[in-house]
Amino acid sequence: MQSKQLFKGILAGLAVILMVTVPAVAQMVDPDLKGYTPVSGVSGSIKSVGSDSMNNEMTLWAEGFLSFYPNVQIEIEGKGSSTAPVALIAGTAQFGPMSRAMKAKEIDDFEKRYGYKPTALRTSIDMLAVYVNKDNPIQGLSLQQLDAIFSKGRRGGATKDIRTWGDLGLTGEWANAPISLYGRNAASGTYGFFKENALFGGDYKDEVKEQPGSSSVVQGVARDKFGIGYSGIGYRTADVRVVALSPTADGTPVEASPENAYTGEYPLARFLYVYINHRPGSQLDPLRREFVRYIFSRQGQEDVVKDGYYPVPALIAEEDLATVGIQ
Amino acid sequence: MNSNPAATPQTDDVPSGGAPRAPRRRAQRSSSSLLAYGEPMLWLTGGALTICLVMIIGLLALIFHQGITTFWPAPLVQITTLEDRTFMGEVTREETFAPAATVFTQLAPEVAQQARRTVAANDGTAHRRLVRIGNFELTGDHFNWFSDFMIRDERRPDWAVTVERLSWGRFYGFPAAFLVDGAVVADTPAEVWERYEAHHNEIRKRWRQRRHLETHAIGKLNRQEEKARLEMRTALLQHGPDAARYAAALERLETVQRRSQIETARLREQINALNTENSRYQLRLVTADGQEKNLALEEIVRAFPANRLSLLEKTSIYLSRWWEFFSDDPREANSEGGVFPAIFGTVVMTLVMSLAVVPFGVLAALYLREYAKAGPLISAVRIAINNLAGVPSIVFGVFGLGFFCYFVGGTIDQLFFSAKLPSPTYGTGGILWASLTLALLTLPVVIVATEEALAAVPGSMREGSYACGASKWQTIKRIVLPRAMPGIMTGMILAMARGAGEVAPLMLVGAVKLAPELPVDTIFPFLHPERSFMHLGFHIFDLGFQSQNSEAAKPMVFTTTLLLIVIIASLNLGAVLLRNRLRKKFISGVF
Repeated sequence: MQSKQLFKGILAGLAVILMVTVPAVAQMVDPDLKGYTPVSGVSGSIKSVGSDSMNNEMTLWAEGFLSFYPNVQIEIEGKGSSTAPVALIAGTAQFGPMSRAMKAKEIDDFEKRYGYKPTALRTSIDMLAVYVNKDNPIQGLSLQQLDAIFSKGRRGGATKDIRTWGDLGLTGEWANAPISLYGRNAASGTYGFFKENALFGGDYKDEVKEQPGSSSVVQGVARDKFGIGYSGIGYRTADVRVVALSPTADGTPVEASPENAYTGEYPLARFLYVYINHRPGSQLDPLRREFVRYIFSRQGQEDVVKDGYYPVPALIAEEDLATVGIQ
Repeated sequence: MNSNPAATPQTDDVPSGGAPRAPRRRAQRSSSSLLAYGEPMLWLTGGALTICLVMIIGLLALIFHQGITTFWPAPLVQITTLEDRTFMGEVTREETFAPAATVFTQLAPEVAQQARRTVAANDGTAHRRLVRIGNFELTGDHFNWFSDFMIRDERRPDWAVTVERLSWGRFYGFPAAFLVDGAVVADTPAEVWERYEAHHNEIRKRWRQRRHLETHAIGKLNRQEEKARLEMRTALLQHGPDAARYAAALERLETVQRRSQIETARLREQINALNTENSRYQLRLVTADGQEKNLALEEIVRAFPANRLSLLEKTSIYLSRWWEFFSDDPREANSEGGVFPAIFGTVVMTLVMSLAVVPFGVLAALYLREYAKAGPLISAVRIAINNLAGVPSIVFGVFGLGFFCYFVGGTIDQLFFSAKLPSPTYGTGGILWASLTLALLTLPVVIVATEEALAAVPGSMREGSYACGASKWQTIKRIVLPRAMPGIMTGMILAMARGAGEVAPLMLVGAVKLAPELPVDTIFPFLHPERSFMHLGFHIFDLGFQSQNSEAAKPMVFTTTLLLIVIIASLNLGAVLLRNRLRKKFISGVF
């Protein structure tokens, strides 16, 4: 929960700067971000292992990066955020995209091996969206209701288990229809983030159908009229609807829109991280330095928009570039 | 069908104990007679075959239908809703549904009333279509559903244009102006289009030229620099920071770096010149809802006025899309562009796998069948091999990862590529390790098929050979192997089919989402067995379960599946042809 507070704090400050109406998706990128300028002498191979939610994002960055350095070899593997720390520690990957922050245990393991902590780069902003089928009339849900739908223990304080759409106040054919649950597999950062923030740390019900990818959650809900599932906002399609969420049981539901992500009002907004192995104070090798620079360039952040996520403001970009010694 | 009792052979009915009673006897007689005629078995076997055929043909028909229609250019429809919003795009899917009452409550009262009336007139059901509306950077959506009762007006505008771009997906709009150096030079659709067609090809040619400069010329410099850097690292690791060799390597690195910087600057200038020339030309499009957008011609892969095409033009677009699919690298996180690296990876992996598994399997089978003395040990080995065929493929994947990648590859890295550590060279998934893992997986198939083929060679031929004074190996080489060759080839075909279709173990040992660098190329040493690769099977999995724009990726899943089936079929066909040639050769060689 602490990281969430931090997140809100940072973003609330930035929201003032950014609270302009968003006319078109392409204009969401902060104009203060620098365009990428290629340098010479970049070659070698990059391997990224980690989040499945960020798989496409990494691929888009890779494609963009390759258009500047066609000879660099880039390999991307995305089987879940939990695979990133392992790969970084073993040295099999230079980049570890993660859709959640590293756990203390993972940071400890890394520190034991290298003597310093891994560096987290906040590359983009995601809203974990709750999807229902496009024909579902439900208007909004509170986190407590979500907890009662998805978890066994109801740590959020809901008094009653929710099993049918009727329990959420829907009528007609929906009243007796059981809710069909879709979720991610345990290696996924999305799984962990949802558990931490929507289920208040509780356990998932056994009925949750665990899907191998972010997109398959959305596809499952698209096909299942009575389905509900959670996945990154970038995977939205026309076949599903995003439900507005309210942080408290009696609050007004907040739409999953970019403005609400930046103000931090949307309860399930999060950073998408890329972790790297960087000894504090040292210089990154040219290849990794340029890739990081690309991520935080205007082009890199446009790729973020292309993938349906939200770009970070120039302030965060500068801060994170500074942590790895890039001006 | 009921048979004449007299025709039934009486001897078949002799029971083994006690005299059976008459009625039972009759029943037995009639059933056995039916079986004797063979009719039920004929129906049973025929039925089983029919069910198999229906399943295979059904699956193939589905894949063919979906896969083949994907690239056909669709017409564009412009839709104005009751809420006065205008959209334009391609219809991709339609369905009938029963709108719930809540659908109407969200609408404005008069709109809701009209919509209710339409639905009521239609027995409470409605029809809706999924339209690909594109223009993602303006709308934030790729697709949208439109219910018929919400549509006020629908038409197919004459000058609607579909634009396929290098990034951001498709764009739909009307040509408004053609710009050169920012100045409008044409502003009627027909003129704009004429200009576009006149310039597009040369611009794409310049773009390709630029890519070539970037990939080959600058790439070469980068590689030289990387090589010098690695030599410096090696010198540092082997001789320490004070050695003269290290100083020399460092100096060489600096020379190389200086030289490459000058060269790169020169090439960049050329590239910039091409870019400036290309960026002079722009196409201004107006979307259906009136927004203007300038597209650089360089960014456009293909554009066509979808509603004005003749059949011939449609066919040519269709074919050019297929060609792009075969020959290009993927774009936009694999959801667009081609699958060439995946085709290449699949074929190379399958061939390397066959090269590894066939000699190994054949030698093992030769020993088992020709040299080994039958006994409990050999039986145990055979049973073990047969069991190996039943081990789940993911287990082979885990073994490959642990043994090949981490153990063998890690050792190779320690010995030969220590300068690159901690980035692994062989110590991670790669096409060589993937091929070897699949070779292990398909080994039982080859061994069993070869053994069967060897067993089918008549003993008399071997004896004849021995009688002429030939040794064991001479007999095997001259008599047994040629005769068994077609059977061995059959084993290889089965192994290839199994290996090319396998995905699960590959995910552990080297198949990745994006690896545009091929394992075989023109860069010394030409073969790069350590590289990760793309695989069609994995590509299908990735498109189906991981793509962000899953609606647009769905047809690509079928197209890619179709392609994978065609490739496996042609690899098999090649092997079958080879086998037939060998058969002929063998026959003419003997008689």
